[in-house]
This record gives sequence, structure tokens and C-alpha cells, in this order.
Amino acid sequence: MMRAIQFGHAAAALIVGLAAYGAPASPEASFQAAQKARATGDLTAALAGFETALALDPDNIRYGSEYRQAAIQAKEYERSLKFFEKLVADHPNSAKAHLNYGFAYVDKIPAAGSITQVILANTALTEFTRSIDISPSWIAYYTRGNSYLFWPKVFLRAPLGVADLEKAYGMQKAGPKRTYHVRVYISLGDGYWKTDNMDKARAIWTEGLREFPDNAQLKARLARNGDDLKTYIDNELDPNKRVDTNLQELWASE
Amino acid sequence: MLGGAKSVLYRRAVVVCVSLIACLTAAALAGTSFPATRWFEDITKAARINSKHTNREFKNPYAHIMAGYTALGASVVVADYDGDGFEDAFVTDSSAHGKNHLYHNNGNLTFTDVAERAGVADGNDEENASSAALWFDYNNDGRPDLLVVRFGHNQLFQNLGNGRFKEVTRGAGLYRYLNAIAAIAFDYDRDGYVDLFVACYFQPVNVFHPDTPRFFPENMETANNGGGVPVFHNNGNGTFTDVTDKVGLRQSGWALDMGHGDANNDGFDDLYVANDFGTDRFFVNNGNGTFSDITKTAIGFDTKKGMNAEWGDFDNDGLLDIFVTNVTDDYMREGNFLWHNNGNLTFSDVSRETGTYESGWGWGAKFFDYDNDGWLDLYVMNGWVSAGSESYVPDIFAMLVKPGIDLTDARSWPPMGKKSLSGYEKKRLYHNEHGQVFTEQSARHGLDSIRDGRGVAIADFDNDGRLDVFVANANAEPYLYRNTLPTGAHWVSFLLEGRRSNRAAVGAQVRLTAAGQTWLRYVSGGNSFAGQSSNRVHFGLGEVAGIDRVEVRWPTGEKEVFTGMAADRLHKIVEGSSKNKN
Repeated sequence: MMRAIQFGHAAAALIVGLAAYGAPASPEASFQAAQKARATGDLTAALAGFETALALDPDNIRYGSEYRQAAIQAKEYERSLKFFEKLVADHPNSAKAHLNYGFAYVDKIPAAGSITQVILANTALTEFTRSIDISPSWIAYYTRGNSYLFWPKVFLRAPLGVADLEKAYGMQKAGPKRTYHVRVYISLGDGYWKTDNMDKARAIWTEGLREFPDNAQLKARLARNGDDLKTYIDNELDPNKRVDTNLQELWASE
Repeated sequence: MLGGAKSVLYRRAVVVCVSLIACLTAAALAGTSFPATRWFEDITKAARINSKHTNREFKNPYAHIMAGYTALGASVVVADYDGDGFEDAFVTDSSAHGKNHLYHNNGNLTFTDVAERAGVADGNDEENASSAALWFDYNNDGRPDLLVVRFGHNQLFQNLGNGRFKEVTRGAGLYRYLNAIAAIAFDYDRDGYVDLFVACYFQPVNVFHPDTPRFFPENMETANNGGGVPVFHNNGNGTFTDVTDKVGLRQSGWALDMGHGDANNDGFDDLYVANDFGTDRFFVNNGNGTFSDITKTAIGFDTKKGMNAEWGDFDNDGLLDIFVTNVTDDYMREGNFLWHNNGNLTFSDVSRETGTYESGWGWGAKFFDYDNDGWLDLYVMNGWVSAGSESYVPDIFAMLVKPGIDLTDARSWPPMGKKSLSGYEKKRLYHNEHGQVFTEQSARHGLDSIRDGRGVAIADFDNDGRLDVFVANANAEPYLYRNTLPTGAHWVSFLLEGRRSNRAAVGAQVRLTAAGQTWLRYVSGGNSFAGQSSNRVHFGLGEVAGIDRVEVRWPTGEKEVFTGMAADRLHKIVEGSSKNKN
């Protein structure tokens, strides 16, 4: 065990060192070393390793996702934001880099004051939009659509969320079923609920439950009505709670 | 001489116990039309205290922007200014020619506005806007004097004792331009005179004729360009000296309220400062005439919008806790603070656990035991601006997300116009369920009005042992609610008079023991935003009819024990009158 830990440290340091001296490291090697460093609790080495991997492969959604999880662990929100800022400046057409950049703003929201939360959420939307503009994808539409739902009604953003989630819904219906598709059923129903279309909300949740019969979140929604349902969804969309932005489900179910 | 607590022989004290008030009024609900389960009756009109408050409209280039951010100034402060045994109320207006009101209690739940006759009506003009007020006996003559807190120059009125007041601001050394929003008075250095702490919102820029547009908060979460808390030491000769730096309280937050209390029971009152647009501050009194900022360890650094600081022992553990309102709406979910006192100069926020987290856009809030069950309940004012059906929220957030926005510049801020911002919010009455949780009871008791509440004052206006509620609303009429709690629950009240301590005994702690339980209450020097309650110390006793002992810890630090005191009475206790001293 100890040897593995030592290896993790050494490998990450070596790869970071190589990158620093201009030697081209393999992005996957950097990523794996960073994963090991993270597993041993060496977040400094992990972050550096992930950054090296991303610099070499900016459009890799997995690298970005794992990097952000490490940044959350280390509470290095600013570092993460600055890194992605530079990454998208260097690689403006990397759709997944913009997506992860947007998520980096979302990651900071629970650690911010109530006003800053709104500014962060708004900036995240900008990055999600850039990602869609570059390369429309299920994950980008789902992400932006779901983000719109966190905004209070007064901002009139829930209909935009429904529109995005409908696109994600259409995309998933056109391809093979994935476990993460349940998310769209949940969020799209929430979007209809938030736009006062209760019938459509129930219909999409019901359809989702047919597709994913064990899903507790869908069951919880369908079991509630009125204020009870409102309390439940408001709680789910509470900006003070950390949103799970770990995207590992995407590759885990491939 | 006393030889330890166990050997103390408590003789039946010859207390200066003046039974000012007789018994509970029987059958209070008989003949009334409201539901039997409703324990408050709106008597505003019948009591003749229904003069409308009007917000200040500024006349400067930024007036259309300032209008929304200065919808303040509705306050109510209570004291028995003429010593007739009935609590009176001073209520502020804020319009340029609006008169302030001194409502003299006629003793029958009607009031007469005597402000003009008393000489305290003129608190507003083109250069000054009343924002709050404070009763405090600065000269220890036993008569509450009056400070009118203003954007502009505060006014200090000496109570002459003949129903009239004389303005003594300049002579007292208090004539200074401040954008003051709240004031409290307590004797921080235990010299026998209450000192004055003034919370200031804007810096001392003349907001009536600003020479710069850059006087708004620099940011929304950690702003440090506000007015801070100037401190004026009472010299004991009718004058005050600014000691802000000397006592270690120089600060630059957007102070909205302050509350004092002895957090660590060391005999010296500490200070909580609630700051809008940023971090609240906690200052421990070092006992040598200075304070230390221990915010980091006591409460941590917050980014919320502190609006109120009220102290009280909500869980009856013998330590004073603190309730602070913040802003909670669907677009800004800050949540209130209920700071549970851990006893070591640290506090834990238990607002979520106790159900007091989300009340709305909070303002003044007061602990009081409305049902005399021995547990402090909580009444919270809510709502910012109630105007048209359109919301101002998108406007403000559109400003906030503009790159490089200069928030200090008033011109950056969108005018509110006829839009609403967290308007039409209900006030909240939280019933304390044995110090564990609070349940919301405002609708049941008819205390859920949607006028834009600001200050609340608690007092027993009809001396029946049930605490009544006076609410000041911005740009609207106030409310006076008579408490009609069915008889049964016991109570006792104390009016303290200091001799070596400051005359009004501000800061005195009273520990009442009965049926094996001890309660702590204390004399506040005006805590909570825009509202000052009676300085009587009130205990609800529930089913307990007999009092074992009453310990008073005077502001000097000296303790006295009184025994043989009857329940269901108001007692006057004079410092030094007990035979039992610790």
C-alpha cells in the first residue's frame, strides 16, 4: 500500500515535471497519475496532474470532471476557474472544456454568498451556451436546461430549461438507453412543474418511471402533491446545497 | 460573611416591592368576536395610534435610486416617560415634514399624541430624516430621555419631568452628521452611566446633498464602506465623548443594528453588530473599557445581510443567545441566524434545526413570552418594498452581472420605480416549543400582516401581565395588538432601579428560580432593529405560582437575592435593598 502511495506521488511529480520542461507527456498517463495522487490524498499533486492531462487533451470531459472533483475536495475553486479560463482561451473550440468551465462555476456556488451565487450561476450558463454553440450534445443540453431550473420564477428561465431538456429528451429517445437518461425525465418534469404544467410534469415523470422503475426520485415526485411537492422540489433545487457535478455516470454506463 | 452558597441564610427580604399592578384581568375573552384560539386583538384604531408612516423622498440627482434603498425609518420605542405606571410609545415618521409621535398611554388602552406639546414632534426636515429612536436615562435622574436617530443629526431630548422635553444635542456633544439607523445604550465600562452606540448605514456623506455619486455599498457581501458604529462615552455630566477608537470599535460596515448582552456571564456586556451587505461582527468586552473583535472564533465570517440583533435565552440554559434576521426569498436564500451560545464565547447557528431559518426579508425581531409558558417566543418583521405587481429582482440582478460594474456609484443601481422587492411578506410569530423548535403561529393569532414591517416593541400596555405588541410599518400605519391570552398562566415582572449602577439598570440580569427551574432575563438597552421594548423584566411562569428566589446581578456586577416575591405582580426592585448579597 505504501509503495503504491509512493508511486502515485512520484509518478505525478515526474509527469508534472516532464510537462514543465516541455517533454510531451501522455495525457492518459498524467490523468492516471493524478487519479492515484488523489486517491492517496495528495490533492496538490493530483490537481497538477489533471491540469497537465487537460492541457494535452482539453476536450476530454472525464479529465475535466475528475479535475473539478479534486478541486472541490481541496476547496480550490479559484484555481479551477483560472485554469479553465486559460484552457478555453487556448482552445476556444473545445466544447467539453467550456462545459467543464461552466461546471467549475457551479462547483463554487455553495461556497459563495447569495449574491455571488447568482453571478456564478449566470456565468456558468454562458459557458454552457458556448459549449452548445460549438457542439450540441445531450450532456450540454441537459446541463444548461437543468441549470435554468435553479433560477427563481421571477427570472422567467424555467421555459428555457424546458426547451433545452426537450432537446436532450429527443436526443436520448433517438439513441440507445443509458442509465443517466433518467435525469432528463426528472428534470423535464421539474421544468413542467415549475412552468405550472402539472399534467405534463406528471406524464414525463410517469414515463420516466416506466423506463426506470426503481428510481426513487421519480417515485418521490409522483407520490407528492401541492405544497408537499413544492417543498420537495424546492429542496432539490436549493442553491445552497452542492449539486453533484461528477460526470462519471457518462463513461461508467458506456 | 456569606460563607458560601449553602450556608447563606436567606432571610425573607425586605424588598422594596411595590405592587404597582394588581391581578390578571379575568375573563379577557368574554364578549369578544375573534376566535377563542386567537390571542391577539388588533386595537390600532381604537387605541388611536394609527398615524401613517411615510418614507423620505430625497431631492437630489440620485433620489429616484435612493427611494428604494431608504424605505426605512418606521420605528417604535417604549418607555413610561412620565412615570405614571403605564408604558408609552414614541413612533417615528420619515417624510420631510412628517411629525414624530409621542403616544401617551391613557391607562385604558387608548393613547394621546402629545409629541407637539412635549416638544419632540419635529424630527424631520429637509436636512434630517428620522430613522429610529431610543429611550435612555443618560443623566440618571430616573426619567427616560429620548434620542431621535436620524439620517442627518441625531436629536437628544432631556426629559424634564413635567411632560416636556428639552433638546440638548449640542450641549451633550452629540451634534454630528451621521447616517444613523439604530442606537443602543449600555454601560460598557460599568461607571454607572449608560453609553451610546450608534449604528450608521451610509458613511457620513450628506445623503440629502451628496457631493459624489459614490456612496453606495462597494459590493453585496463584504462591503466595508459603510458608516460603522460610533461610540459615545457618557461623561456623567450630561456630555458625551466619542471613544470609538479608544474602545476598539472603529469599523466600516453597513451597520443596521446592534445588540448587547453578557455572552460569557463575566459581568461585562458584549456587542453584536448586524451589518447589511456583509459580515456581522462580534465584540467581546474585555472588562477594561475596550472591546476585541472575535468574529472569527465566535460566529465566523458571513456574507449575509444582517438586519437585526436580538439577545435572549431561548433555551433557558442560563446563557444569552442571539437572533439575527437576514434576507431570505426565492432569489436570495440566506436564512436567519439563531446563534446558540455555547458558553465559551462561541456560537452555533441553530436556525435550521429550530425552524427559524426562513422567515423572509427580515427586519426587527423580538424575543418575548407571549403565552407566559416560560419560553421566549419570537416575532419577526418582514418585507422590503410592497408596490406594483412587477418585481425589481431582475433589474438588480441584471446590474450585478454587468462586467466591471461599480456598485459604489449610485448611478449604477436601477431605479425601483413602482416595482416590488420582497414585498407583501407576512410577519412571523414563532412559538417556542421548550427550547427545541419553534412553530409558526402568526396566522392563528392574526399577526401575519403583509405591510412592510420594520420595528416591533413589546410591552404590557394595559398592565394585565400579558405582553402586547406594537409594530411599526414602513409607508403604512402601525399595528397595536392587545394580548388576550386566556388567564391561567402565571407571570411576574420586575422594574429595576439602579443606585450604584446606571439608574435604569440596563444590563442587569435577573435569574428567577421556581419549581426547581431557573430562568434568565435581562434589561436591554434598546436591542433589535427599529424597536425598543419595555425595560421591565418579564417572566412567564406557566403553572408555577410560587417563586423561590430572584437573583439580580446589577450592572456593577454585584448580586442580590430576593425571596418571598409573589407571582402575577409587577415588582419594583431598587439596588441595595436586599439583605442577601453575594
